[in-house]
Amino acid sequence: MRVLVSWLRELVEVPVSIEELAEALTLRGFEVGAIEPQTPNEDGSLDAVLDLEITTNRPDCLSVIGIAREVSTLYATDLRPPPSFSLPGTDSPPLLTITVDDPHLCPRYVGAVASVSVGSSPPWIAKRLEASDIRPVNNVVDITNYVMLETGHPMHAFDFDKLSKPEIRVRLGNIGETIKTIDGVERHLQSEMLTIADPEQACAVAGVMGGADSEVTEATQTVVLEAAYFNPISIRRTGKRLALTTDASYRFERGADVAAPATAMTRALELLITTKAGTPQGPIVDHFPSPPAPIVVRLRHSRISHLLGQQIDENFVTPTLSRLGFQVRPEPDSNTTTWQVQVPTFRVDVKREEDLIEEIARHHGYDRLPTTFPALTRPPSLPAPWRARDGLVRRLLTGCGFSEAITYAFIERASAQSVSEDSENIVALQNPLSETASVLRPSLVPGLLDSLIHNRRRERQDIRLFEIGSRFRRNEGESQALAVAMTGSATSKHWSSPDRRSDFFDIVGVVTRLFAGFGRQIALEQATVGHLVPGRTACISLLTTHETRTPIGEIGQLCPEFATRRGLTGSDPVFVAELDLRPLSLDKFDRLQAIPVPRHPSMSRDLSVEVDDSLPAAEVRGTILASAGSNLVQVKEIDLYQGEEIATGAVSLSYRLTFRAPDRTLTDAEVQSSIDAVLGALAESHRAKQR
Amino acid sequence: MNAPTDITAIRTAFQTDLQAIATEQDLQHVRDRYLGRKQGAVATLMRSLAKAPPETKPALGKSTNALKREIEQALSKKGTALRTSMRSTDSLDVTLPGRELAFGRRHPLTIIREQIETIFETMGFEILQGPQVEDDYHNFEALNMPADHPARDMQDTFYLDQSIPGTGNPALPATLLRTHTSGMQIRYMEAHTPPVRIIAPGLVYRRDTPDLTHSPMFMQVEGLLVDQGITMADLKGTLVEFLRAFFDTDTKVTFRPSFFPYTEPSAEVFISCVFCSGNGCSVCKETGWLEILGCGMVHPAVFEAIGYDPELYTGWAFGIGIDRVALLKYRVEDIRLFYDNDLRLLEQFPH
Repeated sequence: MRVLVSWLRELVEVPVSIEELAEALTLRGFEVGAIEPQTPNEDGSLDAVLDLEITTNRPDCLSVIGIAREVSTLYATDLRPPPSFSLPGTDSPPLLTITVDDPHLCPRYVGAVASVSVGSSPPWIAKRLEASDIRPVNNVVDITNYVMLETGHPMHAFDFDKLSKPEIRVRLGNIGETIKTIDGVERHLQSEMLTIADPEQACAVAGVMGGADSEVTEATQTVVLEAAYFNPISIRRTGKRLALTTDASYRFERGADVAAPATAMTRALELLITTKAGTPQGPIVDHFPSPPAPIVVRLRHSRISHLLGQQIDENFVTPTLSRLGFQVRPEPDSNTTTWQVQVPTFRVDVKREEDLIEEIARHHGYDRLPTTFPALTRPPSLPAPWRARDGLVRRLLTGCGFSEAITYAFIERASAQSVSEDSENIVALQNPLSETASVLRPSLVPGLLDSLIHNRRRERQDIRLFEIGSRFRRNEGESQALAVAMTGSATSKHWSSPDRRSDFFDIVGVVTRLFAGFGRQIALEQATVGHLVPGRTACISLLTTHETRTPIGEIGQLCPEFATRRGLTGSDPVFVAELDLRPLSLDKFDRLQAIPVPRHPSMSRDLSVEVDDSLPAAEVRGTILASAGSNLVQVKEIDLYQGEEIATGAVSLSYRLTFRAPDRTLTDAEVQSSIDAVLGALAESHRAKQR
Repeated sequence: MNAPTDITAIRTAFQTDLQAIATEQDLQHVRDRYLGRKQGAVATLMRSLAKAPPETKPALGKSTNALKREIEQALSKKGTALRTSMRSTDSLDVTLPGRELAFGRRHPLTIIREQIETIFETMGFEILQGPQVEDDYHNFEALNMPADHPARDMQDTFYLDQSIPGTGNPALPATLLRTHTSGMQIRYMEAHTPPVRIIAPGLVYRRDTPDLTHSPMFMQVEGLLVDQGITMADLKGTLVEFLRAFFDTDTKVTFRPSFFPYTEPSAEVFISCVFCSGNGCSVCKETGWLEILGCGMVHPAVFEAIGYDPELYTGWAFGIGIDRVALLKYRVEDIRLFYDNDLRLLEQFPH
C-alpha cells in the first residue's frame, strides 16, 4: 500500500517528520519498505510516498483512513475524516432494481445512478492516484478508485446505457458463459464465479474486474455506481481460477468492511458533485437484507499480563482501543477489571481476546516487553535415536573422505525411471516448477549423481559424496535413506607412490566400515539392478543376530550410459550404494560388555585352495567359518589368482586363518587339526583342492 | 672388598665401554651394565656400601653418587651424539608434504542445524524429525489456515498428483510437500500433554522460483513451547538468548508486530546487521537490521484443534530459515549454492 503523506496529513495530524513516522509505523507492524520523496507541496512542506507492507490480516489498512487511524492511535491525535456530506434529496423513484441470488455470497449491494460528463480528473485527484500507482482513466473511474484508496472499499462504475435493462442481478456464472473484461481478455466463467449481470449477460466478474462492454468511456452519459460486499472466499477462488488479482479482489478476498458500501457510495457521489463530474439520479439503492450483529469480545485486564508477561495500565488499554475504533465498555457486575469490546466492522481480523491483546501489545511496543526465561517444569527427554544414528553416519563417512550433499527432493521423471523398478511407483507433483523437477525422487542416487557431475565438470576428478535424506514411493510413502557415490582415485596423490583408481571393492569397504561403526555386519550377494553394471552389482543384507539377513540396499558400478546421459564426462567409473537407514541403530552398543583382552598368543596359518570360479567367495568363507572350530578368531582373504598353473574355469583363493584359545597357548597339532578340518570341509562342499 | 678401588675400576671400565658404543643397542647394553637396577655395577657398589665402616660411609656414598651422575651424563651425551649422527646419514626432506588422508565435510546446512539444535538442547528442548510429505490437516487446517485462507498464498504449495501413505493416521494420506515443519508440532501435541518444549528442524518446500535468496526447497527449524503461565516475555527471553548464543553476545535484537495465522500476537525478529554491526550496508539495505525469524504466541485456535485448553495453557512458537542463517553466517551469496554441492564450497567448512 502506497500512502501519500500529504493525503495522510489531511486525515490526521502527524506531529513528526516523515522519517520518524516511517520508523514508528514499522514498529507497529506496518513495515515501510521505501520512502519515495515527492515534489514539495504548494505550502512548501515536504511530501513523500510511504511504501507500506500490509499483512494479510489488515485489509482495513489498505486505505489512507486506515493508516490515519493507526497514526491517530500512535500520537494520540484526532482523526479528521472527510466532513459528512448531505446528498441532495430526491423524490424520484429508484432508477435501478437489485436482485441478489445468494445473500451469502453478496450480503450487501449498494447501487446508484448518476448522469455524468466524462472528462479528465482534477489535478489533485490525478496526483493522488498516480502517487498510489493507479493510472488515472477518466473522472468517473478515477473517483471510484479515489474512494477505494481513501476508504479501502472497492467500487465499480458501469455505463448505464449499455445495460439491457436497469436491473442488476448478482448471480453465479453459467457454464459456457464468457465475458470480455476491461483488460480485453475473453474469460470463461465457471458456475462458482459470482457475476454482476443485467437480464441478458454478465457485466462484471464480481469484485474482480468489470466487463469491457459496460465500461465507462468518453461517450458515457449515465453510470451505475456499485459499492458491494462480496464473500472473501468466493472472490479468492474466482481470482485463483482466473489467475487474476486486482486492487479490488486483493481487498475483497482479505475481507472488506460490510458497513463501508453505503459510506463509500455517499463519498463517491459527493466527489461527483463537488468536482462537477456528475449528478446523482434518484436515490441510492441499498440491498442489505440482514446486517450482521456487531461482534463483542470480552477482554480481561488480567489476561493481558497473562499473555504478555507485563502489567499494562488500564489507562493505556481503553484509550488505545478507542482510538483504533473499538467501543470499550466496562463489563457490568464484574469483580475484576473486564471490558466488553465492540469490534468495528472494518476490523475483520479481530474475533477474540488474543486479537485485542495484540493491539495493546503493538501500541505498547514489543520492545518494551521484558525478557524472561521459561522454567523447565519437566525433565527434558533424551535425544531421539535418529540423531545419534545420523551423527555417526556423518562421522564415519566424512572420516572416509565423503562430503555431505543435500540435493532436491524433486527430479526429472526420466531420471526417476532409470532408478525405479516400477514406474507406477513414482510420485509426481501436480504443479512442478519445471519438467526437470517434476517427480519426487524414489532414490537418492540421481540427485547425488548430478552433484557428482557438477563437480566433475569443474575440474574435479576425485569425488566422494553422500546424502542422508527422504525418498518417496507411491506404495510405501516416505522413507529415510543414505546414498554414497565415489569416483576417481582411491588413494591420495603423493610423490612417493603411484595412485590407484577406485574400484568396486573400495565402495564395498566404505559400506562395510559404515556398518562396522554400528557394530553390524553385512553380506553381499550378486544382484541385478537396472542402473548398475551387471556383474558389478550386489544387494546388501544386514546380518541380524539369528543368522537372518535383512535386505537393506544395493551397491555397484553405475551404468556408464546412465551417467553419460546425465552429463558425466570422462571414463572413470562411478560407484554408488544406497541403503535404507531405518534398520540401522546403535542399539547394539546399549548393552555392550567388553570381552577380556586375550592372555595367550594367536597362531596364523595360510592356505590356498583352487575352486570353481563361479563359486562366490562368500561361500568358501562361510565353509571355513563353519568348519574351523571355536578357536578360529579371524579369516582374511589374502590372494586371488587365476592364470598359469590354475585350471581354466577355476580360481585360487588364499586365506590367512588366525587361531587362539582363551585359556591356553595352542599347539601346532591343534591348529593343524583345525586346518585339516577346514580343508576337508572345503573339499567336500566345494570340491576345493589345496594348492 | 675395597670400595674406593672399586669406584676407580668401574670408572676405568666404563670409559672403555663408552668409547666402544656405536649403536643405540650398544648404548642400552652399557646402560644396563652400569646403571641397571639389580645387576648394574653402580647398584652393586651401593649395596656393598652397607658393609663399609660407618666412618667412611658418608664419603663413599658421595663418591658413588658422583660416579652414577658421571655415567648418566656421559651416556646421555653419547645418546644425543648417536642420534645426531644417524640423522646425517639417513635424513629426509622433512619439508615435503605428508600423505593426505581423505576426509569429507558435513554440509554447511547440517553444521548450522546442529549448532541450533545444540543451543536449544541445552535449554531443555527435545529435537523432533517429521515427514516431508504431509496432509492438508497437519500442514494447514490445524494451524488455523482453513482452505481459501489468503495466508496460504504466503506458502505456495507443491501438491502430489495422487496421495501416498502418510505418517500415522491412514485416513490422512499425504497430499503435499510440507511448507513448514509445523505439522510435526501438531503431531507432537496430539500425542503429548503439556509441558511441550520441542524444536523440529527439516527440509520444507515452497513453490518459489529459484533466485539468490529463494529456493523451492530449504531447511527450517521451528520451535514450540507450551506450559502453564508461558508469556511473550518468555518468548523474547528465549529467542534473544538463542540469537546471542548463535551469532554474537553483542547482537542487538528487536521484535516487530507481524501476522501469522497460527500465532497471536505475532512478531518478526530482527538482529543488528552482522555485516555492518548495525551501521547500515547494502545487505541490510542501510537499515542496520536483518530480519531473522518469525514467532508469536500460539493462537488459541491451534490449541483448540488439538484439544489443549487455551485458558489453562499458553505457549509460543517460532520458525527460522537455516539457509538464510547460513547465508548470513558464512556470507554465501546465493542460496542455490547450497544445493549444487560444489566441493570447492563444501570443503571450506569444518569437519
